[in-house]
Amino acid sequence: MKLGAHPKLDALCGEFLIGTLRGAARRRFERALAREPAVSRRLQYWEQLIAVEYSEKFLAKPSAATWQRIKRDLALHRFAAPWYAKVWLWRIWAAAATAALVLVLGLPYVNRPAPVGYSTLALMQGKAPEAQVTVELSDDRRALRLLAARPVQAAPSQSFELWLIPPGGAPKSLAVIGTLDSQIELRGALAQPLARGSKLAVSVEPAGGSPTGGPTGPVIVIGDVLS
Amino acid sequence: MLDDREVRRLILATAASDAAAFEALYRKTAQLLLAVALRIVGRRELAEEVLHDAFLRIWHSADRFDPMAPKPVAWMVAIVRNRAIDLVSSANLARVVAAVEDAESALEEALGAAMSSDQIVESDRRAASVRDCLGRLKAPERQALVLAYHHGLSHGELARYLNKPLGTVKGWVRRALENMRACVERHVGEVGEARRAP
Repeated sequence: MKLGAHPKLDALCGEFLIGTLRGAARRRFERALAREPAVSRRLQYWEQLIAVEYSEKFLAKPSAATWQRIKRDLALHRFAAPWYAKVWLWRIWAAAATAALVLVLGLPYVNRPAPVGYSTLALMQGKAPEAQVTVELSDDRRALRLLAARPVQAAPSQSFELWLIPPGGAPKSLAVIGTLDSQIELRGALAQPLARGSKLAVSVEPAGGSPTGGPTGPVIVIGDVLS
Repeated sequence: MLDDREVRRLILATAASDAAAFEALYRKTAQLLLAVALRIVGRRELAEEVLHDAFLRIWHSADRFDPMAPKPVAWMVAIVRNRAIDLVSSANLARVVAAVEDAESALEEALGAAMSSDQIVESDRRAASVRDCLGRLKAPERQALVLAYHHGLSHGELARYLNKPLGTVKGWVRRALENMRACVERHVGEVGEARRAP
């Protein structure tokens, strides 16, 4: 029997959380945690339910030597960003370059046409209440804007993929994205209007997008297209 | 109070081998994680050892962190607690747990910040509920729960420490967890929709 369907799942989550699940039982639970989404979801539920916030008085300051050992043992210097990748350097360069451009080109470009407007196309939601993504469509129907309630990035070996699911039809990929907060230029304009009952969804896929043309990983947020 | 969004961002950047983000994650969480370890192993030098080992594990397994996890620091706390528990189990350390009233003072310490916060936000409301619900547990259940959670005592150690049969303390722990869950759910409602699949 999978642990996710086990009648004692709650008891196991609780005992794992407080640390009384030991030895082989803990190892079995950890294996299920890695393999069964239902188990990790339920443990997250417990973690959220009995989330203890620690006071300042509880904290203990580690010695400087501990961080130095961690740094040395992981050889972190190999992963340090090179000087030209420092964000602050590029920010200064970008600010200076922008200022220079404005000076050279003058004001004509200030009076540009009004930016394209957007309107809400769908509200996608996940299991957790805070997992919400608002999807906005540009007035010319050629761009989408995804606004996540909280920033979520795909792991390095994964991508997110946005799907349009027409009623009764196969999902159509709209874009492969690295983060739920995204601005997407569509390859063609979206049909006007979209079929009633269409949905939008985001699935987790291997890096670069679904290898099959259809969603292969778990759907993390989904929502109806607003009429 | 740790900012969940910031901790999540730093763990995800760590998964991409961003050493600067990993160091920032350490600076933000090390004091809390060391305190968690210290409670369990009881000795400073061992707690620092646990912290070291746990951060090595965090670096190597950050790509397995679930980006949708609502409490990202809980993932790190679990790594620290398990490492600390493994260390004390393997070394068969005789740990000193202070007097029985320590359970009460541990609660006060652990929950102090949440109660002093001005913002009545979801997490505060939940922390207040946790405190209230702990207070409603029967004394032996509360004591067993706090000793296990804060000091990492196993069922066997609880039985020896509380001088009760193993079956009795197992029952206390089981009932304490179930009563806590039911009580906090009554206070704050279901947390999200992460219910067990039917």
